[in-house]
Amino acid sequence: MTLWDLQANQIAHVQNFHNALSTTVANRLEEMGFCQGQPIVCLRRSPLKGPLVVQLGDCVYSLEQTIAEQIHLTAA
Amino acid sequence: MQRIILVGKPNSGKSLLFNQLTGLRQKVANFPGVTVELKSGQFDEFELIDFPGTYSLNSLSRDEQIAIEKLNIAVHDEHTSMVVCVLDATRLERSLVFGLQAQRLAEENGKSVVFVLNMIDEVQKHGFEIDVDGLQQALGAPVFALSAKKLIGVAEFKKALPALVKQGKTSHHDIPEAREKVIERARNISKQYGIQADVVLKSQNRIDRFLLHNVLGGVAFLAVMFLLFQSIFTWATPLMDGVEWCITEFAHWLTALIGPGMISDFLNDAVFGGVGAFLVFVPQIMVLTFIIGLLEDSGYLARAALICHKPLSYFGLSGRSFIPYLSGFACAIPGIMAARTIESPRKRLITMMTIPLMSCSARLPVYALLVAVLIPEDATLFGIFDFRGAAFFGLYLFGIIVALIVSLLLNRFTRNQSDEMDMPFILELPSYRVPHWKPLFHRVLNSGKYFIRRAAPVIFIISLCLWVLGYFPQGAGLQGSFLGQIGHIIEPIFEPMGLDWRYGVAIIMSFLAREVFVGALGTLFGMAGADDNIAGLAANIQADGLTLGAGLGLLLFYVVALQCVATVATLRAETGKGSIAWGLMAAYGVLAYIIAVVTFQLVS
Ligand SMILES: Nc1nc2c(ncn2[C@@H]2O[C@H](COP(=O)(O)OP(=O)(O)O)[C@@H](O)[C@H]2O)c(=O)[nH]1
Repeated sequence: MTLWDLQANQIAHVQNFHNALSTTVANRLEEMGFCQGQPIVCLRRSPLKGPLVVQLGDCVYSLEQTIAEQIHLTAA
Repeated sequence: MQRIILVGKPNSGKSLLFNQLTGLRQKVANFPGVTVELKSGQFDEFELIDFPGTYSLNSLSRDEQIAIEKLNIAVHDEHTSMVVCVLDATRLERSLVFGLQAQRLAEENGKSVVFVLNMIDEVQKHGFEIDVDGLQQALGAPVFALSAKKLIGVAEFKKALPALVKQGKTSHHDIPEAREKVIERARNISKQYGIQADVVLKSQNRIDRFLLHNVLGGVAFLAVMFLLFQSIFTWATPLMDGVEWCITEFAHWLTALIGPGMISDFLNDAVFGGVGAFLVFVPQIMVLTFIIGLLEDSGYLARAALICHKPLSYFGLSGRSFIPYLSGFACAIPGIMAARTIESPRKRLITMMTIPLMSCSARLPVYALLVAVLIPEDATLFGIFDFRGAAFFGLYLFGIIVALIVSLLLNRFTRNQSDEMDMPFILELPSYRVPHWKPLFHRVLNSGKYFIRRAAPVIFIISLCLWVLGYFPQGAGLQGSFLGQIGHIIEPIFEPMGLDWRYGVAIIMSFLAREVFVGALGTLFGMAGADDNIAGLAANIQADGLTLGAGLGLLLFYVVALQCVATVATLRAETGKGSIAWGLMAAYGVLAYIIAVVTFQLVS
């Protein structure tokens, strides 16, 4: 599943990125903590397919659909 | 002078530390077309330079690229002795990813490195303790645990820093080059020395449960925006009146001193009238900057962006475009400046290009005059709404709709050539914190200075030209002046709008600032002090026979046209391209003209 499929309060682990994601963005995501095996929790889904809010490591991030769909997760 | 460079991840408290270390004197260097801003100040005998906060030394956007290039050059520079890297103790892992990269860069260039472990008060508040000695060992560089806010450990840091700078190389650790290795090391170090993330994030998440709530969060958002909007008008008004009063009094005093004549006329009309009319906006810009700074430093700005992101993304805008748009209702210039926070360069450009369509406060007197001409005072809409009020609302709405349509078109138009480097919308939601006055104070001061520096020269030139054209040949009055003659010559241009040369002259003169339209039209209708007697002038214009179609067209013209050289100057500085700024002025001018002509033809 992708990060976009994560429901509120659901936990999963980061797996990898979609091939189509540019390396610069992928690298930045890794630097922000999106590394394989890291646990990620969805804190909130917004109405009308708005950005979702996740907690990853020591940060809380908000991501929009186009980027969240590029991040693959393994269910916990 | 030896130089110290301050770096760190965004929201690590770098600005506050900078302000605590340096005195009141600061210099800000901006670079055309990018959001990169370098602040410098004096600390002890050293020059301290504050670099923009970044997550990584690997750039994602052009702005980051330029900031990182500047950092590389600065670290390499022989005058630079030390890099001070600010870490957020509550987010050690994330701050260390950049921290280690910065340490490596400094070591490669033979510079010393010192780490500042900021926010230590929050660590203590949550009942944790950090093994600073151990962290020092692990990092191979001195670490100072402090709180820039509560001033814990700041005095010690200030005392120790000069000796460390002079001592030379302080850090000796081989930082791996591979990105993955850096990330891994940051994780390992923070696992060993950092605090439990959950505890810190819990309080932030609790507040978010309310402020991001589907219903309550929306209400809170509207309340905050309403407050912002109110503040622009209610708090700024007395200040604006104060500035106006000072300028008028000073003008009276000076012209009385000089005595009547051409010089006095020049000072009165061109200098105090023209440049003064624009200085009046400085307080408004500063109040607006203050509120936006408050929102940003408290952490709410990121939430506001999150809330607006989806609806605005339909128009090719970002959630961060909302505050700039809202600021645009006061004045386009702080709005364009506030667009710096937009993560994607393309969306930032689209936002900046459409902000001038928000009805700014300089348009208010023009709307007030023309609405008073066209709509009787006691007219109602459907028997309940005040017709004039509804007309105002309609004008604001028209501006917004045109802005959204233009954004949509610009978005379509530029999508193909959109660069790969365009930032996706990933937003860190920082902890909620009570802002500190020091960085805010400097920010507000700088916004005023920046505005004056950008706009004053062009305003002065335009003001001078208009004055010469309107004053000569001497004694002919505005009607007989060169400007009046030009008005007669170009009258055919305004004819399709249903307007005569007097409106043409007033339109030309309002390029200085839109509200000049009222005073200029007053002069042409033989009324002095029309600014304070809008109803009187309105009656005059009515009697003169301005048709409904022409009046309506003129109103819509003022909604769309970019008649403000100060805005054009700011656009030029912020986009780094004169062609965009002047092109936009021409494009909106043509669009406004077409709308006005069509309206006149349809209604008549
Ligand atoms: N509690 C606490 N808050 C701080 C400290 N240092 C900075 N802040 C606050 O953290 C927020 C972000 O700081 P700022 O200086 O703007 O961070 P920058 O983005 O790194 O420049 C502001 O509201 C500051 O007042 C600190 O040591 N303790």
